[in-house]
Amino acid sequence: MPHRLGPMQTLPSPMQRFADSDPVDYCIVGAGSAGGVLAQRLARAGFRVVALEAGPFWDTEKDWVSDEKGSHELYWNDLRITGGTHPLALGSNNSGKGVGGGSVHWAAFTPRLHPSDFRVYTQDGVGADWPISYWDLKPYYELLERELPVAGPAWFPWGDPHGHPYGPHPLGGVGDVLVRGCTKLGLRSVAGGPVGILSASHGDRPHCIYRGFCLQGCKVGAKASTLITHVPDAIRHGAEIRAHAMVARINLRNDGRVDGVVYIDREGKEHFQRARAVIVSAYSIETPRLLLNSACTGHRHGLANSSGTVGKYLMAQAGNVVAGRFDQLIRLYKAPPAHALTEEFYETDKSRDFARGFAVQTVGPLPVAFAKQMVAAMGAWGWGLRRVMMDYNHWAAFGVLGEILPWQDNCVELAEEKDQYGLQVAKVTFNLHDNDKKLIEFAKNKVMEIMSAAGAKHVVQEARFAHLVGAARMGNDPSTSVVDKFGRTHDIPNLFVCDGSILPTQGSANPGLTIQALAARTADYLIKQGENIFFSNRRDLSEPGIRYDLSPPYTHFRGNPRIA
Amino acid sequence: MSRKSFPYKPSGGDLRDLEQPGYYAGYSTLAQKKHWEAATRELVTHRVDKTPSTIRFFSQEEADVLTAIIDRLMPQDDRASMRTISVLPVIDERLFTNSLNGFRYEDMPSDREAYRLGINAINEMALSRFDQSFIGLPVHRQELILKSLHDGKPDPEHPTWQRMPVHRFWALLMEDCVTAYYSHPWAWDEIGFGGPAYPRGYMRLEHGLPEPWEKDEQRYEWNAPADSLSELDEEGAPPEHSSLHGHGGTH
Amino acid sequence: MSFILTTALERSANRSLPEPLSGAVTTALEHLRKGCFQRSLCLVVSATSVASGLEVGYEHYKGSYSNPVMYTPVALSAALAGAGLLGFFSGVAARTLLRWISVITLADGIIGFFFHIRGVARKPGGWKLPVTNIVMGPPIFAPLLFGTSAYLGLMASYLRREEDLHSVAGRVHNAISEFAPGKADWRTNLRYGRFQKHLSSVTVLWAFFSGFEALYSHYKANFRYKAQWSPVLLTPLVMAAGIGAVKSRRIANTALPAASALALADGAIGFYYHVRGITRRPGGVKKPLYNTLYGPPVFAPLLFAACGFLGLMASLLRREKK
Repeated sequence: MPHRLGPMQTLPSPMQRFADSDPVDYCIVGAGSAGGVLAQRLARAGFRVVALEAGPFWDTEKDWVSDEKGSHELYWNDLRITGGTHPLALGSNNSGKGVGGGSVHWAAFTPRLHPSDFRVYTQDGVGADWPISYWDLKPYYELLERELPVAGPAWFPWGDPHGHPYGPHPLGGVGDVLVRGCTKLGLRSVAGGPVGILSASHGDRPHCIYRGFCLQGCKVGAKASTLITHVPDAIRHGAEIRAHAMVARINLRNDGRVDGVVYIDREGKEHFQRARAVIVSAYSIETPRLLLNSACTGHRHGLANSSGTVGKYLMAQAGNVVAGRFDQLIRLYKAPPAHALTEEFYETDKSRDFARGFAVQTVGPLPVAFAKQMVAAMGAWGWGLRRVMMDYNHWAAFGVLGEILPWQDNCVELAEEKDQYGLQVAKVTFNLHDNDKKLIEFAKNKVMEIMSAAGAKHVVQEARFAHLVGAARMGNDPSTSVVDKFGRTHDIPNLFVCDGSILPTQGSANPGLTIQALAARTADYLIKQGENIFFSNRRDLSEPGIRYDLSPPYTHFRGNPRIA
Repeated sequence: MSRKSFPYKPSGGDLRDLEQPGYYAGYSTLAQKKHWEAATRELVTHRVDKTPSTIRFFSQEEADVLTAIIDRLMPQDDRASMRTISVLPVIDERLFTNSLNGFRYEDMPSDREAYRLGINAINEMALSRFDQSFIGLPVHRQELILKSLHDGKPDPEHPTWQRMPVHRFWALLMEDCVTAYYSHPWAWDEIGFGGPAYPRGYMRLEHGLPEPWEKDEQRYEWNAPADSLSELDEEGAPPEHSSLHGHGGTH
Repeated sequence: MSFILTTALERSANRSLPEPLSGAVTTALEHLRKGCFQRSLCLVVSATSVASGLEVGYEHYKGSYSNPVMYTPVALSAALAGAGLLGFFSGVAARTLLRWISVITLADGIIGFFFHIRGVARKPGGWKLPVTNIVMGPPIFAPLLFGTSAYLGLMASYLRREEDLHSVAGRVHNAISEFAPGKADWRTNLRYGRFQKHLSSVTVLWAFFSGFEALYSHYKANFRYKAQWSPVLLTPLVMAAGIGAVKSRRIANTALPAASALALADGAIGFYYHVRGITRRPGGVKKPLYNTLYGPPVFAPLLFAACGFLGLMASLLRREKK
């Protein structure tokens, strides 16, 4: 049987194999959302690229199942310690482990950030400003929306209004509830997207079949993950994706440049992969952990940490789930969990007593996830739990997606404990601050109001968090940030960070699309800089200009004509 | 042998020895397995047919107490014995293989230790409050002790709850129980969930319409056993723990 | 003398309608019978291709134009609507431009049919899950139904123009055709409005296609409303009447118009229900685009009505000359 990536696509073969001693141009740590895009772009531009992935190289037919419990292995399940006043739940809620990373189990909501998200400090006096503006990123948003491609409404009215290349999806029961509730309250909502899920076949990927197992890995191949969107093209153009390679540390030479990474294979054997430049794309926890674990002479407190901000300013979005019970049947397990939303409360509103805002989105918990929610939200147990679960098909659920500001005390550090590789595990500390608490309180009540307006007879909610970003933020000032606006570390000229951890603030948009757009931008920069990255310490901060010729197949001349 | 107490219909009659509780009489996800792809079919049928029988992580005593606890947390007294869903073996398997959920709270011991401590504490609470081991207690008294943990006010106090926050232990226990129970096809039949759906997906997305192979709901009234403490309190608020929150991945 | 629908209609029009109206009805019926209705059919073609162009436009928008070939029916609808309009003004345009665009559009419908079959096959499970994938895949008969207006356009291109009925040349031709001996070929039959059997059999085919579409889309909605059964039940009726009409002139003049009128009425009622269904969706008229896309398909009942229209037209024509 060939290695399957969805029902129609197979893994290109043979794949390039680089020897450890053979210095590659770019070694990318983590083949996830950002890593996949980077590898694809750099390989197309002719660089020798290897992406090291701690997890397996998924065969979607063999390895993935249409089952909640059976999909446990998609998540990063290794030990992490979590604490603070509001400790984050990690595991299933976070990074993936395996090629495609978190994009394998994301719900694939793909809203863009708003222009205001890039100027939070200037506008609201909180958080931080980005070193780039929305307009720098906009062409990349548009390009990635074509590459995934994104299905959504013809007109998305919030932020910088725009349309989507693929048509919207049909609504499921939960989306109906969201649209009805919003309409009742006079709020605008959008239906059927924006999501990175196919609303029409696309090359060798079929149309969504509305089975609702997005978070368990899309066997259909309709939901975009870099495993099926960018990695095959990367391999076809000579990149190597090396699975089961857990990077332990990055090696720094005496001249202040990195020359490769030490990784551990599945047999526990240590290897050293030589590389002319290293890009860390390992998630907001593993990225700072790797930098901290790579501490060496001259970098006592971790690599590229002269500012002391590696691991700091970690962010998660408030992700309270509001569930409502209806007299009529909903059957919330049908249709993708992500398919309708409103961003009416996204921007700072002076009449509220907090800065920034939130979005409201559909979610579609399957039985185990829903039971856990009922345990937390209603304190259900015993017969009460059995009873409420028998009404599973009567419930609809929305998720809050609220912006929590970057705070220095929310951070990733190293714990004393070690994992199976003998590496110190990450300790994540998370505290809510005054603005965050007010925002969550308001958001939670507003979403409960929408649920009630839609006709729910009983509304409950549970607090939770989603989408970790930050912890190696970008900025213009080397004393307060880790990387520059292209992801290059301020301290080491050939070490880059490119994933969600470079976000200075997070907005109230799901970060997946932004991460991939940033990766494409970084790739364009690296390609433009060419050999300079490998031999020069000079830092050229001029804009690279977007390359439209490096996209995977089927990107151009597909999809609906856009009106905006 | 675990103790039982039965839910009943207000019109009279215990609900016991049911092949399939819930409102979807005659609905069977397993009957659809020919429409699932091989990997899922193998996994789910294995889950039904091959429940691990030997307990490898817990000692026999621990297993007995935990069984009695699970019988109250995830009661199945209404189910026929041939149709009860194994919960304990699934937890034992997870702990034996040390399969983690990706994190540990800084104020919690490891999952393995938490279980050992918790089981022991519950048993000792039973001894100190009722002078009897937990297993020997009548159902109502078992529920009294568990309810106190649920409420976050252990009665009687036990030093273990100084070492690990009671609400975190409760969440750990409940989540493992619901994961085992609601990942079983018989539970899907009970709640009317569609089950695995690939390559065949869904056609009827709105209005709660059933697929051709699904069943419409046929509701009936039922009451929890008369002295049960675990019935939902519609008026009462859930226990407030500032930091208790969900662990599922939803978006 | 058996019952002839047009004769009966003429009689009752004369009896019960005041003068200018009854005259108009008589003339219209005569135009139909004699095949002199090119101009009017051109207008009908224009109107229906605007409707089918809109429908395929939004259906393919739902399908995201993920294959550039999906633009062809949209472009062809516009072309056909234009050609129909030109055909209204100019007989030459009707005989040339309209004919060729209609042929291309029909061919496009057939090509589309194969693409839709392929689309179903490429869905997970393919033809092993026929029910699910026909319901959820590209609508298989839609490309053929899309050909309705092109088919009418083709017919129109062979007809005579209204003014030919009473022109000198027209009369001469008429006389020749009435009394000329020998077998008439299909073109001549068309020119003189002698294609009742042909149109009846086309009605059968169209009823089958649109009835099938109604069956599975209402099945998708679980037949929530009793009225959703009506097109499904009417389809065999129209089909039977159409088949009968091919065999018997009597049926063509009685059962066929009756069944067709029912289908036409049902389509009209369905259109109302579908529009109402759209306004009742979450968001209702505040989400016009989305709810038109994913509400009940507005144009689908009209397609069903179109097969009633075809049947009615068939019943007013003359039978092919042996």
